[in-house]
Amino acid sequence: MSTIITATNLSKKYGKQAALDGVNFTVEAGRIVGLIGPNGSGKTTTLKALLGLTQFDGELSVLGMDPRTERDALMNEVCFIADVAILPKWLKVKDAIDFVEGVHPRFDRSKAEKYLAITKLNPQMKVKAMSKGMVVQLHLALVMAIDAKLLVLDEPTLGLDILYRKQFYQNLLEDYFDENKTIVITTHQIEEVEHILTDLMFIQDGKISLAATMDEVGERFTEVMVEPPFIAAANALRPMTQRTVFGKAIMLFDGVSREQLANFGELRTPSVADLFVATMKGTYA
Amino acid sequence: MKTMKWLIKREMWEHKGMLVWAPTVIAALMGALALFAAFFDKNITINSDGSPSQMLSVTLEGKVRTQVIETMAQAYMAASAPVLLVLGFLVFFYCLGALHDERRDRSLLFWKSLPVSDSMTVLSKVLLACVVAPLITLGIGFVLSLVVLLTGSLLLLSHGTNVFGELLLTPDLYLTPLRMLGLLPLYVLWALPTVGWLLMVSSMARSKVFLWAVGTPLVAALLLLWADKAMHIGIDSAWFLSNIVSRLLLSVVPGAWLLFDRSLLSMEHTPHHMPMPQTIFGESWSTLGDANVWIGVAAGVAMIAVAIWMRRRREEG
Repeated sequence: MSTIITATNLSKKYGKQAALDGVNFTVEAGRIVGLIGPNGSGKTTTLKALLGLTQFDGELSVLGMDPRTERDALMNEVCFIADVAILPKWLKVKDAIDFVEGVHPRFDRSKAEKYLAITKLNPQMKVKAMSKGMVVQLHLALVMAIDAKLLVLDEPTLGLDILYRKQFYQNLLEDYFDENKTIVITTHQIEEVEHILTDLMFIQDGKISLAATMDEVGERFTEVMVEPPFIAAANALRPMTQRTVFGKAIMLFDGVSREQLANFGELRTPSVADLFVATMKGTYA
Repeated sequence: MKTMKWLIKREMWEHKGMLVWAPTVIAALMGALALFAAFFDKNITINSDGSPSQMLSVTLEGKVRTQVIETMAQAYMAASAPVLLVLGFLVFFYCLGALHDERRDRSLLFWKSLPVSDSMTVLSKVLLACVVAPLITLGIGFVLSLVVLLTGSLLLLSHGTNVFGELLLTPDLYLTPLRMLGLLPLYVLWALPTVGWLLMVSSMARSKVFLWAVGTPLVAALLLLWADKAMHIGIDSAWFLSNIVSRLLLSVVPGAWLLFDRSLLSMEHTPHHMPMPQTIFGESWSTLGDANVWIGVAAGVAMIAVAIWMRRRREEG
């Protein structure tokens, strides 16, 4: 397995405010990585650094290239949707396809047309006349037809309704992703991406606070519905968080063996959202 | 090369209304006006008493006839002057928005997700402003001029003088548009400082691009004027105004070189001599002997380089 991204001591300051504070991580090929963090934690700055859209300190290698100096070459291999609704208003569907086909060596026109055929978009339509969801469909059709090694998505479904969101991730997984591609994605809608991620990265205050594969997350973190008699014993193992549902205490443990916890009550694998909340405790305090 | 072709197409899609339709509409209005004037103006068709039989007949013969035809063949492209003046405005506002609008509507992020370098993109905009836009306008101006020429000839015909045959045999009829086309490289060279300045401001300003582009040089000129008056430090603010400010802002007006180059002023003083196309052509090219144009080219290229650098480094604002 080859490494697609290596970040070493990545730092970035906006004035005195540190957006990234010595970030280290690696991303292997064929993974879908969720970069998850609260607002202002440095998610977007990290992605911008990966894409050569911002200057930074430290070392960063994306597909063996430095995004600061080799951006033009990098964009042949990398594709990104930086945000929803950034296609210019005057762009027509057919012109968009013609243009990307004209400038991108890895664009497959038939793929884009195949994808557009199942939407309501027609070739003469201008972005101006589209709903937000349709703009994303067009953008996605363009991006999915590009055979890029790395796809970076920054809040790709922001402001879309649930139907579009579900469809978006389904298309991404079924039509686009394969073992030669790598996807890095940020979103606040953790529940919706949870099942497609292979790797999880939490970022907090410009630092990576958790980086693990989903399998590791499942092994490391355990949620227990603690039966009342065992609460004191469970508390002694220092849970990350504790909440109460229907009178039962639910505790989240990091790195405590499952056999040990099974004595206290019913075990569950925590959702990424619960894990996120537990990890980010005190962020806005 | 292929990428450049698509970048130019891209600009055309975005600015079709401005680059094609605006000059076309103006040309159409001018043409309609000429036709209207020719056929309905009572001063020309002298039948104000309502009697067609009294239609005045003009017969041109001999030397006068030759002169009229020659003048028509040489000067008919003058009808395109309003359209060419509009070109100056179009190029000005095109450049002003070229690198700012894509940041404002955030489409920059989409363009930057494609393997197109910043220098390629900025150069496509320079090319559009300096070459493509003038060519389109010139084409429209040419059609307009032909319409006006045709109208004039028909008018003469209605008064009994057929000039069509000789007009078509006059070489100037064909040479005049070619001469104007031959001025295009000159336009590029003279326009570069303004194009560069506007693109640079467009790549830098967060908002109020027009104010920055026009205000900065004017305020600088005012400050110099004030400094000169107040402290007598011997700065020639008039020189600054005519050599820096006007070159930064007005060089995109076609034919502006005739104003910037002082050596040409003599031409205007020759009494009763209408500057003929070949004279203008020759005089225009002779402006290249002046340092003014080359300093402007160097400044323009430098400012375009800054614009490229800004587009590369600038985070979307």
